[in-house]
Amino acid sequence: MVRPGYFFSETFSSLRRNFFMTCAAISTVAITLFIVGLFTVIVYDVMGVVNSIKSQVELAVYLEDGISSGLKDYIEQEIKSWEEVDSVKYVSKDQALERFKEQNEGSDILKEIEGNPLPASFEITLKDPEKIDRVALRFYDKDGNYIEGVNDVIYGKNYVNKLFSITAIIGVITIIIIAVLLLAAIVLIFNTIRLSIYARRKEIEVMKLVGATNWFVRIPFLFEGFLEGFTGGIISIILLYFTGNFLLIRAERLIVDTMRIKEMAIVGSGGVIIYVYIGLAVLGGLIGLLSSGIALRKYVKV
Amino acid sequence: MNMIEFRNVTKIYEDNTAALKNINLIVRKGEFVFLVGPSGSGKSTFIKLIIKEVDETDGSIFIAGRNICNLRSSKIPQLRRNIGCVFQDFKLLPNKTIFENVAFALEVIGKPVYEIKIQVSQVLKLVGLYDKIDSYPHQLSAGEQQRVSIARAFVNRPPILLADEPTGNLDPITSEGIMKILSRINLIGTTVLMATHDKNIVNSMRRRVVELEEGEIVRDQKRGVYGD
Repeated sequence: MVRPGYFFSETFSSLRRNFFMTCAAISTVAITLFIVGLFTVIVYDVMGVVNSIKSQVELAVYLEDGISSGLKDYIEQEIKSWEEVDSVKYVSKDQALERFKEQNEGSDILKEIEGNPLPASFEITLKDPEKIDRVALRFYDKDGNYIEGVNDVIYGKNYVNKLFSITAIIGVITIIIIAVLLLAAIVLIFNTIRLSIYARRKEIEVMKLVGATNWFVRIPFLFEGFLEGFTGGIISIILLYFTGNFLLIRAERLIVDTMRIKEMAIVGSGGVIIYVYIGLAVLGGLIGLLSSGIALRKYVKV
Repeated sequence: MNMIEFRNVTKIYEDNTAALKNINLIVRKGEFVFLVGPSGSGKSTFIKLIIKEVDETDGSIFIAGRNICNLRSSKIPQLRRNIGCVFQDFKLLPNKTIFENVAFALEVIGKPVYEIKIQVSQVLKLVGLYDKIDSYPHQLSAGEQQRVSIARAFVNRPPILLADEPTGNLDPITSEGIMKILSRINLIGTTVLMATHDKNIVNSMRRRVVELEEGEIVRDQKRGVYGD
């Protein structure tokens, strides 16, 4: 005999089960996508910092005192002809002194300077800062000495190279982390949809029995999956918005101030954050659809 | 007209147990047939084959003259809309009212709302439960619940009604009520096939009896009794 109490408890436990499962699925997507979004924004910003540091990488070529203007012009023409070079700026001895005075205004050093000890120089910026090594080598001859007219070549060689390799490593690690997180989100939604299919197995059974089409059976679950993913995406956007406004921007201002980085992509300042928001919502919906699609294939044989 | 026809049908399950062996049977339009036999004799497999819940291993099955063996899976819903099914455990949805439970069968096949209202009211009057239209399944007795499930199976007026042990959970007096409803449905021209091992019911109805034993038909008798 089927006890009425059985139906009673089934009804209420099913309702409660559905509620908690839905909450679990949505918060899982929200947290996962929030982390994905946060990583994306942080990586974007780090890349911004790296790029701004990169663009500040210059090659300074100091010239010998008393270099003939012919040789100077020759070297300048030579540098300009290299395809890696973006711009060349000649700084004469007078200009160098002028600049030094500006930078050290009010300092005692200025009183101790007699005459002009500063060399003239070329300041070279490159189209692609990673080729700085190759360009610097051109100022040496076969024996490793500076070519005629050049006294010294200065650029942050080790510093620049380290920066490049760190950037590459950060990129790879981030991609791995995001991939793992996305996989976790898919597995978790898959699981909640699977449980939801299980909770509604009687309805599905009856639907199939009375001749509902396959799509009629599937669509509610696909919609449920989509909705869970999409809602999770929206919540992650809200979380990201507040985190960005109250934490990231402050932290970044601090970094900008202490590191004296000229320009930096601050969260919310660029159009990129809009794309991140749209991306999270779309991604949430797609994850939901995909996961419930897989669960349906596996658990609803129609 | 042959409503259900089995030609040399064999069903062997994946674990190599043969549920049905070389079955040949014709059920004509408007017949009332009892499928009897002990548990495990193949009665449920017989019913599952008709609604294509399982596929036959060998042979052909014709429903209303159409071979359903090579039916595409997208055509199965159409087949099931023409076959009503009643089960021992009712399969009612506990969180829907009686009206909603019956209407559900029409909703999922896309009937318009006004038609649903009319058809559900009619069928609930037929099974004598019109006054319980807003109750929930748990508020009804087991016999009443089975009547709701018959109403759901018949609300779309299918030409075939299959019943798998519909009285298996019910006491004799309630069972009699169920049989009256099935007879009434049969009288309006519906072909009814009922699997049962309820001796009293079979003996009191005096309809065609097909007896299965270990997957084979051992008796096919007009106006028969349960036997032994």
